[in-house]
Amino acid sequence: MSLLQTVQQEVIERLGNLSITARQAVESVLSGQHRSVRRGLSVEFVGHREYQPGDDLRHLDWLVWARSDRYDIRQYEEETKLRATVLLDVSGSMGYASGEQTKLEYARALAAALGFLMIRQSDAVGFVTCDTAIRDFLPPGSTMAHFLNVLGALEQASPGGETSLSTVLDEIAERLTRRGLVILITDAFDDPEAFLKSIQFLRYRKQEVRLFQVLDPQERLFPFRGMIEFIGLEHEPRLKLDGDRVRAHYQAVFEQHQNRLKSGCHAAGVQLETCWTNEELSAVLIRALAMR
Amino acid sequence: MIEFLNPILFGGLFAVSAPVIIHLLHRRRIKQVDWGAMRFLLEMLAKRRRRLVLDQLLLLLVRALVIACIAIAMLRPAVNRHNRRGNGAAISRQGRTAAVILVDDSVSSRAGRAQPAFDTMKKLGVAYLDSLAPGDEVSLVLMSQLGAPPSDPVFDIEGLKSYLLGLKPSYTATDIPALLDAGLNQLKRHINPGAELVLVTDGRKDGWHEEDKVRWDDLRERLRGPKNAAVGTRQRPQVIALSPASVGIEENLAITAVGMDRTLVSAGRPAGIRVTVCNFGIQGRGEATVQLAVNSEVAGSKHIEVPAGGQQAASFSYTFPEPGSYAVEASLADHQDLLPADDRRAVSIQVESSLPVLLVDGAASQGLENKLGFLHYALEPEADHPGAFRVTRIPLVQFTASMLQDYRVVVLGDARVLEPAMVDALERFVVGGGGILVGLGPDTDRELINRYWARDGEGFLPCPLAGADTPSSTPVPAAINLGHPVFSGFGAKSDEAWKAAKVRSYFKLDTKKVKASDLDPLLTLDNGDLLVAERRRGLGLVTLVATSLNADWTDLPLQAVYVPLMRGIVGHLGSFIIPPRNLEPGGQIVYARVKDPAKAMRGEDAAGKPLKLTLGAWEGRDAVISEPLMEPGVYVLHDPTEPKPIHYAVAVSAAESALVPISDREMSRSFEGGLSIFHTPEQAAASLDPARRLSVELWKWFLVAALGLMFVEAWLTRRESASGTGSGV
Repeated sequence: MSLLQTVQQEVIERLGNLSITARQAVESVLSGQHRSVRRGLSVEFVGHREYQPGDDLRHLDWLVWARSDRYDIRQYEEETKLRATVLLDVSGSMGYASGEQTKLEYARALAAALGFLMIRQSDAVGFVTCDTAIRDFLPPGSTMAHFLNVLGALEQASPGGETSLSTVLDEIAERLTRRGLVILITDAFDDPEAFLKSIQFLRYRKQEVRLFQVLDPQERLFPFRGMIEFIGLEHEPRLKLDGDRVRAHYQAVFEQHQNRLKSGCHAAGVQLETCWTNEELSAVLIRALAMR
Repeated sequence: MIEFLNPILFGGLFAVSAPVIIHLLHRRRIKQVDWGAMRFLLEMLAKRRRRLVLDQLLLLLVRALVIACIAIAMLRPAVNRHNRRGNGAAISRQGRTAAVILVDDSVSSRAGRAQPAFDTMKKLGVAYLDSLAPGDEVSLVLMSQLGAPPSDPVFDIEGLKSYLLGLKPSYTATDIPALLDAGLNQLKRHINPGAELVLVTDGRKDGWHEEDKVRWDDLRERLRGPKNAAVGTRQRPQVIALSPASVGIEENLAITAVGMDRTLVSAGRPAGIRVTVCNFGIQGRGEATVQLAVNSEVAGSKHIEVPAGGQQAASFSYTFPEPGSYAVEASLADHQDLLPADDRRAVSIQVESSLPVLLVDGAASQGLENKLGFLHYALEPEADHPGAFRVTRIPLVQFTASMLQDYRVVVLGDARVLEPAMVDALERFVVGGGGILVGLGPDTDRELINRYWARDGEGFLPCPLAGADTPSSTPVPAAINLGHPVFSGFGAKSDEAWKAAKVRSYFKLDTKKVKASDLDPLLTLDNGDLLVAERRRGLGLVTLVATSLNADWTDLPLQAVYVPLMRGIVGHLGSFIIPPRNLEPGGQIVYARVKDPAKAMRGEDAAGKPLKLTLGAWEGRDAVISEPLMEPGVYVLHDPTEPKPIHYAVAVSAAESALVPISDREMSRSFEGGLSIFHTPEQAAASLDPARRLSVELWKWFLVAALGLMFVEAWLTRRESASGTGSGV
């Protein structure tokens, strides 16, 4: 079954089967809710600001001038198409699976579903796959043909290489010149300080950022018993450890990482959504969309 | 000093290595996992590697210590500040004590100048009991009650003390190995960990049976216990001897034997009675008057002087008026010594009108010329005037098993073949107390006799036959067992009389399959071959003559020695009254000729005190059995169906009269040095003071330590892993 078929089956049908309230909620969120990144001619008045030299005199509010002898410019908000960039981490650690599905497979499905939903609303969606560097870059597009290309790229994506998202994010930030939305789908197994710094840089570049952290339940539970030889997926040295004895220490480090990620995202105004690979994809989508 | 009371469990200490081995095995069974979140493991290790290694080593150490503590606790360590052993040494006790007190209340313990040795023995026993503490358990085993069922140990030390003080010495003989054996068996009934075997003895040498190496070796091995067994444990009990101080060899005059001068005593004919008196002193002469009484009536007296270390016999002649049971009692009058118990001795004599003897002749015809013709005339010279023997002579073909019940002795003369049923009947006859004389000859079939009569030494024949021999130089009897009752009619100078008794042919006897001690050689040829041998089979006797009983193979029937020899053999074979009437102290009257069980029998001792009698069985027959007879003397049984009463005699062991002391060194040697000896109550009290329990067992502390370490182990384990599993997603 192709990724498109998967997405159609997983997203369209499941969303279609959602209760009316949920679907309405999703649709209402998606429909006409993208705020324009440009202020200017629009039907909806937002407010006034002081005139600056060079402003178009057509926007000068003469009534305010007449009443208060002040030169204020009327400001409006217009509805525009959203320009979103979905960034998919394809590093080696995304290839881990405790069950049937790897984190990358789950992340691909999530990326495709989000893309599909946005394209269905005529938003422009671009796709980036990366590990230590950008592997594929598809500029934003809003047609179904573009989406099919995206799907093809997603299906080709395979795990490999080490994780270094900060480098990639910095590069993406340089490339994205217009305001937009950046959706990060990754396990975020990277240095949290560098990663958060890059996210702040994205925010500085006027990008709204959503972080979907895809994790396997065992990566938190660490349910291993007895002596285990751990073989890294990103070419790390092998480790022989007693699962029972290191569990508590591992979980402490894991939780510390997660907490740092949460606090960093919160400070940067980035929405963090943690997805477990044993969760239903549709549930993640609804939860994510409802939070907009 | 620390010693381990269960050293056999030392191997358990190897279990200490179990955690390490399990850890190593655990490491070998390693699983591989592809893991994405390696950065967290690496980060964790960077922070905690040293802590993890230390925790692992600590956990391993704690687990090993838990096992070590349990293993050491099972070894039962005990701290002894002193563990000296030997005479008068302090006895170290391991916790609560299981004590088995063995009291040698034999007849020799009655001896003593100011007071009997037994009184001092009791004081020593009480001093020992005083050294015990509440919770200690004690058993008392008396020499006089070795045959009694064992009893359970008691904790009532005060009660036992009273019981001990109330004891009186018995008349039984000493058998120290048997007493120790009973003590070791009794120790198995105890539960306390510390074990002490306390021998309270009068310190006389007789009864230690040092010559019986087999028993002593066995005892020593059992007392020694397993290798490395700690002294004072149930595996290797502490042996303590409480014995009055030795006073050297003491003078004692004793009647050691009363016997008849013949094996068969007939009524109406004078019989010789021989009373042997021994002087066990080492200097001076013992003087005494020997008085003889038959059925409590004085029959004579004689004054004798016995040199120190020697013996003297006083002979009396007495004519028993009619057949029946008689009690012959000898006593020392006008004499007092250390041990009055051995100054009097009685025997029961059965006077017969004539002894019924069945001659089974291998040939059919009568007369001198057949197999048993000479023997017939030797036993019964005048057929019309039966003497001591009442002989019936039949050919072999007429011999039936039912005939055996009417005779006391059966003689088989060159009998070729016996039916298997007859062989069985003869075996039952001799086992039940009968006597058999077997003579061989030219008709003897060695194969058949060895197969059915001898059965490799298991049949009624004393031993198998090796083969017939007709030596070129005719041998003659040379070695005669003059001490045997068979030869009581022969003098010491009768050797010449045997030289004419040429033995032309005889069967060599195969004695290899019979224990030498079982076979009693009566007559040996000058070439060393046995001619006449005797063996006890059950309660009876069998005598085998390796040559013919007639003149076919030997000139013996033609010689003067033949008549007294044959009369001695047959008389001896028929002289045993079964069940026995001469008993040792503790023996019981068994009367098996009960004709009418409905008629009550009556028994009484010499003073007329009635005996308790019960109806029982003996060798498949109804029998009247008395209570154990503990005191020496004469006892009488009245059978309403018999005209005369039956006399029984109880006599003390002659060995008890010697009163030879055993030295501490000799006692210690018997126990290979592992013996603590105390001679006075003060000495015993000083060394066995309960306050000086010098050993403290440590196993409880090790178990507590193991328990504490288990908690630590659980806490460490929980700290390391349980917190992780509890914080699930």
